[in-house]
Amino acid sequence: MPRVRIAVLMPAFNEDGRLARTLDELRACAAQATLTVFLVDDGSVPTIDEVAIGVAAQGLRVVMARHAVNLGQGAALETARRLALEPRWAPAEGPFEAFVTMDSDGQHRASDVLALASAVAGGADVALGDRFAGGSEVPTSRRVLLAFARVFERATTGLRLSDVHNGLRAFGPRAMTQMRIRQNRMAHATEISRRISRASAARAKDDALRVVEVPVSVRYTDESLAKGQRASGAIAILVDLFQGFLFGGEPR
Amino acid sequence: MIAEVTPAAIALVGLLVALFLHDFVTLARNRRLLLLQALVFALGATLIVYPEIARRLAHFVGIGRGVDFVLYPLVIWLVRESLLSRRRRHEEQEKVTELVRALAASGAHEISPAGARPHTR
Repeated sequence: MPRVRIAVLMPAFNEDGRLARTLDELRACAAQATLTVFLVDDGSVPTIDEVAIGVAAQGLRVVMARHAVNLGQGAALETARRLALEPRWAPAEGPFEAFVTMDSDGQHRASDVLALASAVAGGADVALGDRFAGGSEVPTSRRVLLAFARVFERATTGLRLSDVHNGLRAFGPRAMTQMRIRQNRMAHATEISRRISRASAARAKDDALRVVEVPVSVRYTDESLAKGQRASGAIAILVDLFQGFLFGGEPR
Repeated sequence: MIAEVTPAAIALVGLLVALFLHDFVTLARNRRLLLLQALVFALGATLIVYPEIARRLAHFVGIGRGVDFVLYPLVIWLVRESLLSRRRRHEEQEKVTELVRALAASGAHEISPAGARPHTR
């Protein structure tokens, strides 16, 4: 069976050793797929140490870009998306077949990246990680927050998902071109859901994106929880979405 | 009509003069805006010193108090200004984002195992 050509879109901001561990884990999967990581340093201080990354990524192809200032995860993902869609960065074997977004802090597993990419290579346009089906030990506070987020997303985007705001997602080439992100910060997750919802509800059946959910396992550590979203972050997301709605930051 | 020169009126007119002097220095190049500012401030100072004018105008248009006659349009103007300034900030943010992204894309490169830059395509 031919190896799937996967572009991993990975924003990073002040991740220190976690990023090297994430790349090291991905490297271990490099034998099963043709992996290219599009790593965007979103204005880390100090900047990401390329020598350490080079050591961690031995055998793994890493394309790196650096934001001169911190813009937010959404902006970094959009930079990675644009780079990955440029033909100049496609592997010698051919264009990418799957584009997977992944956090750099180690909470996502490399094996799940392959599972999501396989779902896309198998015919889905969008494969979304479902941490609840994958046996993740989600802390109660996060479960409550995500339950509210699920209701909110269902009401505002029309997308009925088991899990929302999970950074582990895979897109086929057709879907990836439609996922332009205008929300710089964390509201990009809702923006992506809205784009998926619209694209999957296209009138012409051939144009509609096929969306599947794939069980994934998310690792919650003290570090990732300290850096992750909180209730106050949810308010910031609502403010960003409202501003986007008012001033044109939302999908049109 | 009698001028009501109360301590509050003196303080408010003083504030208007200070604001105008500030704009006079910072907006020196924009004469038209400065002239418009001067007219608005002069009108404001007149309404402060002669509140009876605002009272009569308020009764004329069916608003109870003279101060409300000034307050209502002021609140609308403030909300508009706030929205405009937020929109401008949003647009500026989008420009900065594209600029930072263009710089990042132009400097994108593959990381070699040793950490050096082998090539930028």
